[in-house]
Amino acid sequence: MAIVKMSNFSLFAFDSERDKLLHQLQKFGYVHFTSLDDNEELIEEGLEAVAIPKSIGEVDEEISKVKYAIDLLTKYYKKETGIKAMIKGMDNFNFDQLEDKASNIDYLPVYHELRELSAELDHINSQMKDLGSQKDELRHWKGLEYPIDELKGFQKTKIFMGTSPKKMKEKFDKDLLNLNLTHVENISEDKDNIYLFAMTASEEAEELNEILRNCGFSNIVLSGEKTPKEEIEFIDERLKELDHSSQEVKSSIDKLSENLPDFQLVYEYLMNKKLRLMVSEDFLTTEKVNVINGYIPSDLREEFEKAVKESLKDAYYLNIEDAKDDDPAVPVLLKNSRFAETFESLTTMYALPRYNEIDPTPLLAPFYLAFFGMMVGDAGYGILMLIGTLLVLKVANLPSTQEKFIRFFYYLSYSVIVWGVVFGSYFGGAIPIRGLMDPATQYQELLIISIVFGLIHLFFGLGISAYLSIREKRYLDALFDVGFWYMAVAGGIVFLLTALMPLGPMINTISKYVMIAGMVGIVLTGGRESEGVATKTVSGLFSLYGISSYVGDFVSYSRLMALGLAGGFISASINMMVGMLFNIGFIGIILGVVVFLGGQLFNLFLSLLGAYVHTSRLTYVEFFSKFYEGGGEFFKIFRNKAKYINLK
Amino acid sequence: MTFSEFLVSHGGVFFAGLGIAVAVFLSGIGSAKGVGLVGEAASGLMIEEPEKFGKSLVLQLLPGTQGLYGFVIGLMLLGKLDASLSLAEGLYLFAASLPIGFVGWISAIAQGKTAAAGIAILAKNEEQSTKGIIYAVMVETYALLSFVISLILINAVSF
Repeated sequence: MAIVKMSNFSLFAFDSERDKLLHQLQKFGYVHFTSLDDNEELIEEGLEAVAIPKSIGEVDEEISKVKYAIDLLTKYYKKETGIKAMIKGMDNFNFDQLEDKASNIDYLPVYHELRELSAELDHINSQMKDLGSQKDELRHWKGLEYPIDELKGFQKTKIFMGTSPKKMKEKFDKDLLNLNLTHVENISEDKDNIYLFAMTASEEAEELNEILRNCGFSNIVLSGEKTPKEEIEFIDERLKELDHSSQEVKSSIDKLSENLPDFQLVYEYLMNKKLRLMVSEDFLTTEKVNVINGYIPSDLREEFEKAVKESLKDAYYLNIEDAKDDDPAVPVLLKNSRFAETFESLTTMYALPRYNEIDPTPLLAPFYLAFFGMMVGDAGYGILMLIGTLLVLKVANLPSTQEKFIRFFYYLSYSVIVWGVVFGSYFGGAIPIRGLMDPATQYQELLIISIVFGLIHLFFGLGISAYLSIREKRYLDALFDVGFWYMAVAGGIVFLLTALMPLGPMINTISKYVMIAGMVGIVLTGGRESEGVATKTVSGLFSLYGISSYVGDFVSYSRLMALGLAGGFISASINMMVGMLFNIGFIGIILGVVVFLGGQLFNLFLSLLGAYVHTSRLTYVEFFSKFYEGGGEFFKIFRNKAKYINLK
Repeated sequence: MTFSEFLVSHGGVFFAGLGIAVAVFLSGIGSAKGVGLVGEAASGLMIEEPEKFGKSLVLQLLPGTQGLYGFVIGLMLLGKLDASLSLAEGLYLFAASLPIGFVGWISAIAQGKTAAAGIAILAKNEEQSTKGIIYAVMVETYALLSFVISLILINAVSF
């Protein structure tokens, strides 16, 4: 369990062999490079940072091409969705398979074809748009049954065509009365405007123009030759043709969409290639020799050495030593048992441990399991979870993070079932089986159980803190920070209990003195890091004040009872409604079944969500605050995180 | 019958009924506001990134629990409802409804605001969005505590 031991390596290798080396190391995968850019010692020696190779530009260009194709083809690719897609999942590859396959794919012909097709499609679309707006304009002039280009040819007559706002109509009509040689027609109207066609003799043109201008007239020049109606028919025909060819282009893109998986492979391949080029900025170099620093898991040391040897033959210098415990730069990789690894996401969500801490994952897992089950506490829900997760795990091909998440709930389902049996709760009492206790009536016992669980949880956390102090040979710290607290809190609790229960004066006295001794110890040692008697006393007293936070912590565990109770009552009230519906008759029974399924599933989801977050809270706030700090750096595997495939 | 006589003979059941109403409507108002707040914030996110719907729904649900706690307390009070309740008993049941009513009301709104801020985490850094959920759950603690007290108050007596 716990944090993987790391080794620090420094490697001197010829610059000319770098590509080969990095390629081999990427295949190996478990290498975390550290930047030497601010290593002053080496820089003073005259070493320089390695420039990122120029070929990065080419790779970037390739990536953008592939990305373009992926984006385009994804719209056409017929992918299975829903359950089928989940069962099939993403294709599995190891690094060699990916390289083999991807380097044999010649994607450029397809890419160029796609470029052409998409340009054609763009061209068609813009033509269609143009025609559409032409058609829009002509639509209003349908009533004008005269070829458009013949309107331009008059010598003694002038034509005005355009729109005028409706509200000016009265004024316009009145003004027109002054003209004798003018003919005006309303061709059509829309919401705001009138589409006017005016014909006038040349000598009156100036006056008409004046009138029109005063009435907000705006001129429209129609394009085309034939009558608007014929033109529209012509446009419609063109549009039909264009639509047809657009369908054709689309179907040829559609045919190419079967190449999408290939493009995705090439994308993954290129992203890894890019990473290989980018990582060299962490290195330093003399004229010919690269200096490379980094970390590897200690147990993979031999494989690492083999990978280096394979790529560099004998021309290298490699030094590997165990990483120092207190070095904050050591990256952290967690490794846990098959059960505990599913809880790792909880640890990393809070903070990765530092290299010299312990991995809290296996420590939090049993409590998480117990608390989660108690908060859901319904055997029916547990069985549903069990069946659901088992089914997914059996049939679906999931990426490892998702697989772990499902397996996490698979483990939790057992706890939910156990607590459900204890509470005798099956879908909120839909199936009446008696359990060991009934939360609805024995909630006081349940509350006490919750607080006792809290006590165990907190004392366990404190115990880990003591273990850590002892591991670092700070025995007194273990006594001061944990031992005295054990005495004060445990003594205090027993002392309070003697007031409620007859436990005998002996226990009363012993617990009283244990408590007082613990408290005095806390006051005396709590401020040992501050200076001066006065500040020591004040911070000692202040640490004793911390006992109030223990009260808060204990109360916080009442949520173990409350959530289970709330979920149980909601589920019981759903059953109550269903019962009422069942009494109505046939329709009621149908409705009742719907309400039961919908309501219980909703409550199941709500219970799981509530249990997940509230158990996390108990872990983070109450448990971790006793011993855990975190803040380590992730071990970055020398691979690009795959997006479209499962890369092993 | 004077008003005080009326109060003495029928006040019990009235106040118990009022308790049910208070537990349900105050916490319900709070949850409705809280859930609404998060929903508004999440709608903006859906325009750009509809694939985050599932996670935003989880955040939206968080302030909804207060209403459910109030509902449960209401149901439990309903079980105690009886025409023969004395005025003192009715007032006691009314008092039992107050913790979840008031704390549920205010905490749901506060939780809604926290969860709405969590939507911003979801929008900008999806991997960390669970932390937004944890923040919102911190608020819920107090609703849970008041729920526990309301529950104990109801069950501590048998009439």
